[in-house]
Amino acid sequence: MTFEQVKKALSAAARRAGLKEYEIYWESEENLSVETLKDTVSAFSSGNARGVCFRCIADGHMGVASGELMTDDALEELVRRAVSNARAIDTDDKPILFAGSPHYEQVTSPEPVLADPAALRHLALDLQKATYAQSDKVGDGTQSYTVSTVCETGLYNSNGLSLTRKIGGSGALVFAIVRQGDEARDASYALPGSAMEELAELPRIAVSRALDQFGAVPVKSGKYDVVFSGEVFREFLATFSPVFSAKQAQLGLSLLAGKEGSAIAAPCVSLIDDPMRAGSPMQTAFDGEGVATSRRAVVENGVLNTLLYDLTTAARAGRESTGNGHRGGYASPVTISPYHFSLAAGADRQEDLFAAAPDGIYLTKCKGFHAGANPVTGDFSIDSEGFRIRDGKRAEPIRGFTVAGNFFDLLKSVERVGNTILWQFSTGLTAFGSPDLLVRGVSVAGE
Amino acid sequence: MIAKHILEEVLCRAISTGADFAEIYAENTRNDSVFLTDGKIERVGDNLLSGAGIRAFLGTETVYATTSDLSREGLLKCAGAVAAAVGDLKKTGSVILREKLLPNLHPARIIPSSVDACERADLLRAGCAAAREYDPSISQVSGTLLGVDHTILIANTEGLLVGDRHIRTRMAIQAVASKNGENQSGSCSPGAGCGLEFFDTVAPTDIGREAARIAVVNLNADYCPAGVMTVAIENSFGGVIFHEACGHSLEAASVAIGASQMAGKLGQQIANPKVTAVDDGTIPGAWGSVNIDDEGTPTTRNVLIENGVLKNYMIDRLGSRRMGMQMTGCGRRQNYLFEPTSRMTNTFIENGPDKNEDIIASMESGLYCRNMGGGSVNPLTGAFNFAVTEGYLVRNGKICEAVRGASLVGTGSEILMNIDMVGQNLECGQGMCGAASGSIPTNVGQPLIRVSTITVGGR
Repeated sequence: MTFEQVKKALSAAARRAGLKEYEIYWESEENLSVETLKDTVSAFSSGNARGVCFRCIADGHMGVASGELMTDDALEELVRRAVSNARAIDTDDKPILFAGSPHYEQVTSPEPVLADPAALRHLALDLQKATYAQSDKVGDGTQSYTVSTVCETGLYNSNGLSLTRKIGGSGALVFAIVRQGDEARDASYALPGSAMEELAELPRIAVSRALDQFGAVPVKSGKYDVVFSGEVFREFLATFSPVFSAKQAQLGLSLLAGKEGSAIAAPCVSLIDDPMRAGSPMQTAFDGEGVATSRRAVVENGVLNTLLYDLTTAARAGRESTGNGHRGGYASPVTISPYHFSLAAGADRQEDLFAAAPDGIYLTKCKGFHAGANPVTGDFSIDSEGFRIRDGKRAEPIRGFTVAGNFFDLLKSVERVGNTILWQFSTGLTAFGSPDLLVRGVSVAGE
Repeated sequence: MIAKHILEEVLCRAISTGADFAEIYAENTRNDSVFLTDGKIERVGDNLLSGAGIRAFLGTETVYATTSDLSREGLLKCAGAVAAAVGDLKKTGSVILREKLLPNLHPARIIPSSVDACERADLLRAGCAAAREYDPSISQVSGTLLGVDHTILIANTEGLLVGDRHIRTRMAIQAVASKNGENQSGSCSPGAGCGLEFFDTVAPTDIGREAARIAVVNLNADYCPAGVMTVAIENSFGGVIFHEACGHSLEAASVAIGASQMAGKLGQQIANPKVTAVDDGTIPGAWGSVNIDDEGTPTTRNVLIENGVLKNYMIDRLGSRRMGMQMTGCGRRQNYLFEPTSRMTNTFIENGPDKNEDIIASMESGLYCRNMGGGSVNPLTGAFNFAVTEGYLVRNGKICEAVRGASLVGTGSEILMNIDMVGQNLECGQGMCGAASGSIPTNVGQPLIRVSTITVGGR
């Protein structure tokens, strides 16, 4: 069944069930991926999946059911289940099915197309070859991957909303393993793109990062001036982005509750959410509830301008949605999420930041955020790797230490911000980016 | 789910261009969940996942394609995509499937989807209310009651045709305690491979109170000091230490391609002789148990480490081809959208020779970790980290004040040797493990153990 056929069948079933207000959300995704090992393609996969979510207002509450079976019987059953599920809900929120925004921005990126499978295989093999050619220390377990996805979304409701979107993109990842004596190190790096010209730097970056870690030593515990690489700080933004959700704030689960209009960060900190970032294949003009999206400074020169709202939290706060109602998939609930969310670039080059932290640490890798960071409290204690900075220059590699602190304190302690934003490669609507930045007096636990 | 003759036709199509093996995995999975926030049932989740993945092997090269269209045409198209990616040979062959029936070691009495959402909501309400009432400092409680009804069918060109239906139930409650503008949280989330009869043995109110208790302990705790310490890690979810520090490095996915610190170490002493560790997917009704893995192989009790000596790896079908070793029934995946790979089931350290009280008494100073959060590991280097969600300082053999914000950092090979005392209260805790083939339910477990030295991250 196509979206049009599903829409027709579900609308008829909804009418038969006596429903006045209902919504149909449809997703159809195609993807390809290639994995290489040594000098061959070790795995190729192609996926084709679609699903539909039916929401309706029954007995004053929002009932939901979703699925992938698209027969007439299955769709009839979907409506029945949604109505039945509505009965268990007892929130005080008035359910809302949005009638549409007056204006939707135009997406500027070209419509995405799925990569050619043969070209994707060749690209992965070329990357793998180029990775091995970087160094004779590159060894077994090194893998290059290429991926391509296209996802179509349709959103239709009984209040007149009818929107469609197509997003997608291609990219590659190189996971390099290098060995020297008994020591083995790895590093991975990903970039968007579907041609070798766009990805030429990928093997070099992955291998040099792995090689750079040879001989890494522990670091002494203490307080250090730390230059966070953009790649590390964007992981902090990703981990702690729920603190900007109005829902978390309204539930008392974000310490930013009641802080709109107040300074929450150093004056050099601005956090921008942009659904239409230039050049991104993941642009969207509407959110998961059909509300028009727009670019905004969530934090501007240290001041929290706004939290991010969906329809329900906006209604609670007596204001308009910011268009951040997000659906992670056809079966996912509406949650609140940013789009292209980044720390705005400052003026400093990386060498300026190193010079400002002459006896500091350059943090290049942090892992285990899901375990070591808590958005409710803001606390984090994260396993890290990086380099010592000595005399204002990058010096020996260091590992096996944790950096600990509190995200809200960190925002206030940012002293200088670098001039280049490094973006995550993402195949969804949400991506985080950050330049390098300098924070003084960060707790480091090592030996 | 799919007629036998269609499966045979689809498998023939998948190997029509030279593949030496093909397999189809089809599933219907009902996911029924109830979500409570702020005292109210906010959402009922109700999804029917339905689709198939077809995989072919050409030696150790794999081709995988998925579809959510389970009709004959949809499956043949998917098999055609696999065949096209395998090569351009023309090969005719036949597949004759023989259906196999396996005993169900994990029966369920009350299927979650058969119970009205309102009734399921009442169970969750009771748990969350108990968390609220635990202490005046509890400022927010949220919870989920999850029910999964997972029906799978696997057929392959070796003639295997086997199916399974597996039910899972889990309640997860998070409580937040607040004081002077500061939040601390606690959570408790037990589950099992059974239906709603789970709550005959585990009271929802106990789940809520445990989540609240941890939040309150943390609210009144100071930050954990950082440094190298002796650490005692309690049973149950404490076993995440073995899961992260060693378990992932024993999966064929990394071992077979030389990307694991444990590759080539069979028969070697890799852990303290007090450590015996097992991956056992056969434990009746356990959270990580399944009758068959997602490649159709019955699960096993797989002794990984015996008295400190590495005995075996966790090996899936592809790993078996790559390594020339027996499959251990551990090929798992989140759903049909993922190609299976070697994964853990219920993985734990066995009871050891030491009395629990002796372990604490032996510590002049250090950290006692009563509850652990999640963690992560790099299988190549064995470098791991995980979070302590409830910790206490130990002085002169006595457990003293609570501390918060600690994490444990180290490498697998070091910590395995440094586990120098193993207690006698083995218990498992439930988690979701994320890796290449998605997020799957796994149990971690151990008795109380002592690690002689480990880096504690704090501030």
